[in-house]
Amino acid sequence: MIIIEYLLMFFLILTAFMAVFFTEELISIIFLSILSMVLTALYLINQAPDVALAEVVIGTGLNTAIFMSAISQVREGEDCHCKEDD
Amino acid sequence: MRKFIVMFLLVFLGIFLYFNLSYLPAEKMISNNVSQHYINSGVKETGSFNLVTAILFDYRAFDSLGESTIIFAAVSGIVLILSRKTLPVSSHGLTFIVKRTLGLLTPFIFLFSIYLMTHGHLSPGGGFQGGVILATISIIFCIVYGSEFDQKKFSPQTKTKLETGGALLFILMGILGVIFENGFLDNLNLFNGEPGSLISAGNIPVINLGIGLKVGAGLAIIFYSMIQKTFGEETDH
Repeated sequence: MIIIEYLLMFFLILTAFMAVFFTEELISIIFLSILSMVLTALYLINQAPDVALAEVVIGTGLNTAIFMSAISQVREGEDCHCKEDD
Repeated sequence: MRKFIVMFLLVFLGIFLYFNLSYLPAEKMISNNVSQHYINSGVKETGSFNLVTAILFDYRAFDSLGESTIIFAAVSGIVLILSRKTLPVSSHGLTFIVKRTLGLLTPFIFLFSIYLMTHGHLSPGGGFQGGVILATISIIFCIVYGSEFDQKKFSPQTKTKLETGGALLFILMGILGVIFENGFLDNLNLFNGEPGSLISAGNIPVINLGIGLKVGAGLAIIFYSMIQKTFGEETDH
Protein backbone atom coordinates (compact mmCIF):
# COMPACT_ATOMS: atom_id res chain seq x y z
CA MET A 1 0.00 0.00 0.00
CA ILE A 2 2.87 2.38 0.78
CA ILE A 3 4.28 1.81 -2.71
CA ILE A 4 0.97 2.86 -4.26
CA GLU A 5 0.96 5.96 -2.09
CA TYR A 6 4.46 7.00 -3.16
CA LEU A 7 3.57 6.33 -6.79
CA LEU A 8 0.45 8.50 -6.50
CA MET A 9 2.47 11.29 -4.89
CA PHE A 10 4.94 11.14 -7.78
CA PHE A 11 2.09 11.39 -10.28
CA LEU A 12 0.63 14.30 -8.29
CA ILE A 13 3.85 16.30 -8.61
CA LEU A 14 4.20 15.29 -12.27
CA THR A 15 0.68 16.42 -13.21
CA ALA A 16 1.12 19.67 -11.28
CA PHE A 17 4.32 20.45 -13.25
CA MET A 18 2.56 19.51 -16.51
CA ALA A 19 -0.36 21.82 -15.69
CA VAL A 20 2.01 24.70 -15.07
CA PHE A 21 4.45 24.20 -17.96
CA PHE A 22 2.01 23.70 -20.88
CA THR A 23 1.19 26.96 -22.60
CA GLU A 24 -1.99 25.57 -24.21
CA GLU A 25 -4.79 26.28 -21.71
CA LEU A 26 -6.91 23.26 -22.65
CA ILE A 27 -4.15 20.78 -21.83
CA SER A 28 -3.53 22.58 -18.54
CA ILE A 29 -7.19 22.18 -17.60
CA ILE A 30 -7.15 18.47 -18.42
CA PHE A 31 -4.01 18.01 -16.32
CA LEU A 32 -5.65 19.87 -13.43
CA SER A 33 -8.57 17.47 -13.61
CA ILE A 34 -6.17 14.48 -13.60
CA LEU A 35 -4.43 16.05 -10.59
CA SER A 36 -7.63 16.13 -8.62
CA MET A 37 -8.37 12.49 -9.54
CA VAL A 38 -4.95 11.50 -8.16
CA LEU A 39 -5.58 13.63 -5.08
CA THR A 40 -8.92 11.84 -4.58
CA ALA A 41 -7.16 8.47 -4.60
CA LEU A 42 -4.68 9.78 -2.02
CA TYR A 43 -7.51 11.00 0.22
CA LEU A 44 -9.21 7.61 -0.05
CA ILE A 45 -5.99 5.80 0.90
CA ASN A 46 -5.61 8.07 3.93
CA GLN A 47 -9.22 7.35 4.97
CA ALA A 48 -10.89 10.71 4.40
CA PRO A 49 -13.95 9.86 2.28
CA ASP A 50 -15.74 13.17 2.92
CA VAL A 51 -12.87 15.23 1.56
CA ALA A 52 -12.43 12.75 -1.29
CA LEU A 53 -16.06 13.22 -2.38
CA ALA A 54 -15.77 16.99 -2.25
CA GLU A 55 -12.50 16.91 -4.18
CA VAL A 56 -13.73 14.63 -6.96
CA VAL A 57 -16.97 16.55 -7.41
CA ILE A 58 -15.49 20.04 -7.37
CA GLY A 59 -12.05 19.40 -8.85
CA THR A 60 -13.02 17.04 -11.63
CA GLY A 61 -16.56 18.09 -12.44
CA LEU A 62 -17.24 21.69 -11.66
CA ASN A 63 -13.76 23.21 -12.07
CA THR A 64 -13.31 21.69 -15.51
CA ALA A 65 -16.68 22.92 -16.74
CA ILE A 66 -16.21 26.46 -15.41
CA PHE A 67 -12.63 26.72 -16.71
CA MET A 68 -13.72 25.43 -20.12
CA SER A 69 -16.48 28.03 -20.42
CA ALA A 70 -14.08 30.77 -19.29
CA ILE A 71 -11.47 29.68 -21.86
CA SER A 72 -14.05 29.59 -24.64
CA GLN A 73 -15.15 33.12 -23.72
CA VAL A 74 -11.56 34.36 -23.84
CA ARG A 75 -11.05 32.77 -27.27
CA GLU A 76 -14.26 34.32 -28.60
CA GLY A 77 -12.97 37.71 -27.53
CA GLU A 78 -9.64 37.10 -29.27
CA ASP A 79 -11.31 36.08 -32.53
CA CYS A 80 -13.59 39.06 -33.11
CA HIS A 81 -12.59 42.48 -31.88
CA CYS A 82 -15.23 44.17 -33.94
CA LYS A 83 -18.48 43.02 -32.36
CA GLU A 84 -19.50 44.73 -29.15
CA ASP A 85 -23.26 44.46 -28.70
CA ASP A 86 -24.84 46.55 -25.97
CA MET B 1 17.35 34.81 -16.35
CA ARG B 2 13.95 35.89 -15.04
CA LYS B 3 12.72 32.29 -14.98
CA PHE B 4 15.82 31.34 -13.00
CA ILE B 5 15.15 34.04 -10.40
CA VAL B 6 11.50 32.95 -10.06
CA MET B 7 12.50 29.31 -9.64
CA PHE B 8 15.13 30.22 -7.02
CA LEU B 9 12.56 32.25 -5.09
CA LEU B 10 10.05 29.40 -5.18
CA VAL B 11 12.58 26.85 -3.94
CA PHE B 12 13.64 29.26 -1.19
CA LEU B 13 9.99 29.77 -0.19
CA GLY B 14 9.41 26.01 -0.13
CA ILE B 15 12.41 25.37 2.14
CA PHE B 16 11.33 28.24 4.40
CA LEU B 17 7.79 26.90 4.72
CA TYR B 18 9.10 23.40 5.40
CA PHE B 19 11.24 24.65 8.29
CA ASN B 20 8.32 26.61 9.68
CA LEU B 21 6.09 23.55 9.58
CA SER B 22 8.76 21.35 11.13
CA TYR B 23 8.79 23.59 14.21
CA LEU B 24 5.15 22.68 14.96
CA PRO B 25 4.81 20.32 17.90
CA ALA B 26 3.88 17.01 16.40
CA GLU B 27 1.28 15.43 18.66
CA LYS B 28 0.82 17.80 21.56
CA MET B 29 -1.27 20.54 19.97
CA ILE B 30 -3.47 18.39 17.83
CA SER B 31 -4.66 15.57 20.07
CA ASN B 32 -5.15 17.68 23.12
CA ASN B 33 -8.72 17.65 24.39
CA VAL B 34 -11.22 18.70 21.77
CA SER B 35 -10.75 15.99 19.17
CA GLN B 36 -10.76 13.31 21.85
CA HIS B 37 -14.04 14.73 23.16
CA TYR B 38 -15.55 14.68 19.65
CA ILE B 39 -14.51 11.08 19.05
CA ASN B 40 -15.68 9.83 22.44
CA SER B 41 -19.02 11.56 22.84
CA GLY B 42 -19.90 12.85 19.37
CA VAL B 43 -22.43 10.12 18.59
CA LYS B 44 -24.02 10.43 22.02
CA GLU B 45 -24.39 14.21 21.86
CA THR B 46 -25.49 14.68 18.25
CA GLY B 47 -26.85 11.28 17.18
CA SER B 48 -24.97 11.42 13.88
CA PHE B 49 -22.69 8.55 12.90
CA ASN B 50 -20.64 10.61 10.48
CA LEU B 51 -18.46 12.67 12.80
CA VAL B 52 -17.41 15.07 10.03
CA THR B 53 -21.03 16.03 9.46
CA ALA B 54 -21.55 16.26 13.22
CA ILE B 55 -18.69 18.75 13.51
CA LEU B 56 -19.70 20.70 10.38
CA PHE B 57 -23.40 21.08 11.13
CA ASP B 58 -23.65 20.83 14.90
CA TYR B 59 -20.50 21.86 16.76
CA ARG B 60 -19.29 24.30 14.09
CA ALA B 61 -22.60 25.11 12.38
CA PHE B 62 -21.97 28.83 12.62
CA ASP B 63 -18.86 28.42 10.42
CA SER B 64 -20.97 26.57 7.84
CA LEU B 65 -23.40 29.50 7.85
CA GLY B 66 -20.47 31.79 7.11
CA GLU B 67 -19.33 29.55 4.25
CA SER B 68 -22.76 29.61 2.65
CA THR B 69 -22.75 33.40 2.99
CA ILE B 70 -19.45 33.45 1.07
CA ILE B 71 -21.03 31.37 -1.72
CA PHE B 72 -24.00 33.76 -1.80
CA ALA B 73 -21.63 36.73 -2.14
CA ALA B 74 -19.71 35.01 -4.96
CA VAL B 75 -22.93 34.21 -6.86
CA SER B 76 -24.16 37.78 -6.45
CA GLY B 77 -20.91 39.25 -7.73
CA ILE B 78 -20.60 36.96 -10.74
CA VAL B 79 -24.22 37.47 -11.77
CA LEU B 80 -23.82 41.23 -11.36
CA ILE B 81 -20.78 41.26 -13.66
CA LEU B 82 -21.81 38.68 -16.26
CA SER B 83 -25.56 38.93 -16.74
CA ARG B 84 -25.81 41.81 -19.15
CA LYS B 85 -27.71 39.70 -21.67
CA THR B 86 -30.95 38.42 -20.17
CA LEU B 87 -32.38 36.67 -23.24
CA PRO B 88 -32.22 32.85 -23.25
CA VAL B 89 -29.80 32.07 -26.07
CA SER B 90 -29.18 28.49 -27.01
CA SER B 91 -26.60 26.26 -28.54
CA HIS B 92 -27.68 23.32 -30.64
CA GLY B 93 -26.35 20.82 -28.14
CA LEU B 94 -24.42 17.67 -28.90
CA THR B 95 -25.36 14.69 -31.05
CA PHE B 96 -28.30 12.31 -30.64
CA ILE B 97 -26.19 9.55 -29.04
CA VAL B 98 -24.91 11.78 -26.26
CA LYS B 99 -28.41 13.14 -25.63
CA ARG B 100 -29.95 9.65 -25.29
CA THR B 101 -27.12 8.32 -23.09
CA LEU B 102 -27.24 11.24 -20.71
CA GLY B 103 -31.03 11.07 -20.72
CA LEU B 104 -30.68 7.58 -19.26
CA LEU B 105 -27.90 8.59 -16.84
CA THR B 106 -29.21 11.87 -15.45
CA PRO B 107 -31.98 10.43 -13.17
CA PHE B 108 -29.39 8.28 -11.43
CA ILE B 109 -27.10 11.27 -10.91
CA PHE B 110 -30.07 13.11 -9.38
CA LEU B 111 -30.83 10.11 -7.14
CA PHE B 112 -27.20 9.99 -5.99
CA SER B 113 -27.21 13.67 -5.10
CA ILE B 114 -30.45 13.28 -3.10
CA TYR B 115 -28.91 10.25 -1.36
CA LEU B 116 -25.81 12.23 -0.41
CA MET B 117 -27.92 15.06 0.99
CA THR B 118 -30.34 12.98 3.04
CA HIS B 119 -27.84 10.41 4.31
CA GLY B 120 -25.20 12.96 5.27
CA HIS B 121 -25.38 11.99 8.94
CA LEU B 122 -24.95 8.27 8.26
CA SER B 123 -22.47 7.84 5.42
CA PRO B 124 -19.71 9.94 3.80
CA GLY B 125 -20.97 12.95 1.98
CA GLY B 126 -23.25 15.74 3.05
CA GLY B 127 -25.06 18.81 1.85
CA PHE B 128 -22.16 20.44 0.07
CA GLN B 129 -21.19 17.44 -2.06
CA GLY B 130 -24.80 16.64 -2.94
CA GLY B 131 -25.39 20.23 -3.89
CA VAL B 132 -22.44 20.31 -6.26
CA ILE B 133 -23.74 17.15 -7.95
CA LEU B 134 -27.12 18.91 -8.37
CA ALA B 135 -25.26 21.76 -10.07
CA THR B 136 -23.57 19.18 -12.32
CA ILE B 137 -27.01 18.15 -13.61
CA SER B 138 -27.67 21.74 -14.64
CA ILE B 139 -24.25 21.86 -16.34
CA ILE B 140 -25.12 18.66 -18.27
CA PHE B 141 -28.38 20.27 -19.43
CA CYS B 142 -26.50 23.38 -20.57
CA ILE B 143 -23.78 21.57 -22.49
CA VAL B 144 -25.60 18.55 -23.92
CA TYR B 145 -29.10 19.84 -24.56
CA GLY B 146 -28.34 23.51 -25.07
CA SER B 147 -28.88 26.31 -22.59
CA GLU B 148 -32.40 26.96 -23.84
CA PHE B 149 -33.46 23.54 -22.51
CA ASP B 150 -31.95 24.36 -19.14
CA GLN B 151 -33.71 27.70 -19.16
CA LYS B 152 -37.03 25.98 -19.87
CA LYS B 153 -36.61 23.28 -17.21
CA PHE B 154 -35.18 25.39 -14.42
CA SER B 155 -35.46 29.08 -15.14
CA PRO B 156 -33.08 31.44 -13.30
CA GLN B 157 -36.01 32.64 -11.21
CA THR B 158 -36.58 29.05 -9.96
CA LYS B 159 -32.88 28.71 -9.16
CA THR B 160 -32.90 31.97 -7.24
CA LYS B 161 -35.94 30.82 -5.27
CA LEU B 162 -34.25 27.48 -4.46
CA GLU B 163 -31.08 29.19 -3.31
CA THR B 164 -32.93 31.66 -1.09
CA GLY B 165 -35.12 28.85 0.25
CA GLY B 166 -32.09 26.79 1.25
CA ALA B 167 -30.48 29.71 3.06
CA LEU B 168 -33.75 30.57 4.81
CA LEU B 169 -34.17 26.93 5.90
CA PHE B 170 -30.71 27.05 7.50
CA ILE B 171 -31.45 30.30 9.36
CA LEU B 172 -34.92 29.03 10.37
CA MET B 173 -33.27 26.00 11.99
CA GLY B 174 -30.97 28.37 13.87
CA ILE B 175 -33.87 30.46 15.14
CA LEU B 176 -35.79 27.31 16.16
CA GLY B 177 -32.68 26.42 18.17
CA VAL B 178 -32.99 29.76 19.97
CA ILE B 179 -36.67 29.12 20.74
CA PHE B 180 -36.64 25.45 21.77
CA GLU B 181 -33.06 24.88 22.93
CA ASN B 182 -30.20 26.84 24.43
CA GLY B 183 -28.85 28.94 21.58
CA PHE B 184 -28.52 29.77 17.91
CA LEU B 185 -28.13 26.62 15.73
CA ASP B 186 -28.33 24.32 18.74
CA ASN B 187 -29.36 20.77 17.88
CA LEU B 188 -33.11 20.21 18.15
CA ASN B 189 -34.64 17.30 20.05
CA LEU B 190 -37.83 17.28 17.99
CA PHE B 191 -37.32 14.23 15.76
CA ASN B 192 -34.66 12.21 17.46
CA GLY B 193 -34.75 8.57 16.50
CA GLU B 194 -32.34 5.75 17.16
CA PRO B 195 -28.81 6.82 16.11
CA GLY B 196 -28.15 5.13 12.77
CA SER B 197 -31.70 5.36 11.41
CA LEU B 198 -32.66 7.78 8.67
CA ILE B 199 -34.75 10.14 10.80
CA SER B 200 -32.36 10.91 13.61
CA ALA B 201 -29.66 13.38 14.61
CA GLY B 202 -32.03 16.29 15.29
CA ASN B 203 -31.85 19.02 12.65
CA ILE B 204 -28.65 17.88 10.90
CA PRO B 205 -30.49 16.29 7.90
CA VAL B 206 -32.64 19.39 7.46
CA ILE B 207 -29.59 21.66 7.47
CA ASN B 208 -27.92 19.29 4.99
CA LEU B 209 -30.91 19.59 2.67
CA GLY B 210 -30.90 23.39 2.93
CA ILE B 211 -27.15 23.66 2.26
CA GLY B 212 -27.48 21.26 -0.68
CA LEU B 213 -30.25 23.25 -2.35
CA LYS B 214 -28.39 26.48 -1.75
CA VAL B 215 -25.01 25.32 -3.08
CA GLY B 216 -26.50 23.50 -6.07
CA ALA B 217 -28.67 26.39 -7.17
CA GLY B 218 -25.87 28.91 -6.62
CA LEU B 219 -23.28 27.05 -8.67
CA ALA B 220 -25.85 26.39 -11.41
CA ILE B 221 -26.57 30.13 -11.56
CA ILE B 222 -22.82 30.82 -11.87
CA PHE B 223 -22.41 28.36 -14.75
CA TYR B 224 -25.57 29.50 -16.52
CA SER B 225 -24.57 33.15 -16.41
CA MET B 226 -21.09 32.27 -17.71
CA ILE B 227 -22.28 30.13 -20.62
CA GLN B 228 -25.08 32.47 -21.78
CA LYS B 229 -22.94 34.98 -23.60
CA THR B 230 -20.60 32.40 -25.15
CA PHE B 231 -23.26 30.46 -26.95
CA GLY B 232 -25.01 33.64 -28.04
CA GLU B 233 -21.91 34.81 -29.88
CA GLU B 234 -21.43 31.39 -31.43
CA THR B 235 -24.90 31.39 -32.97
CA ASP B 236 -24.44 34.92 -34.27
CA HIS B 237 -21.65 33.88 -36.65
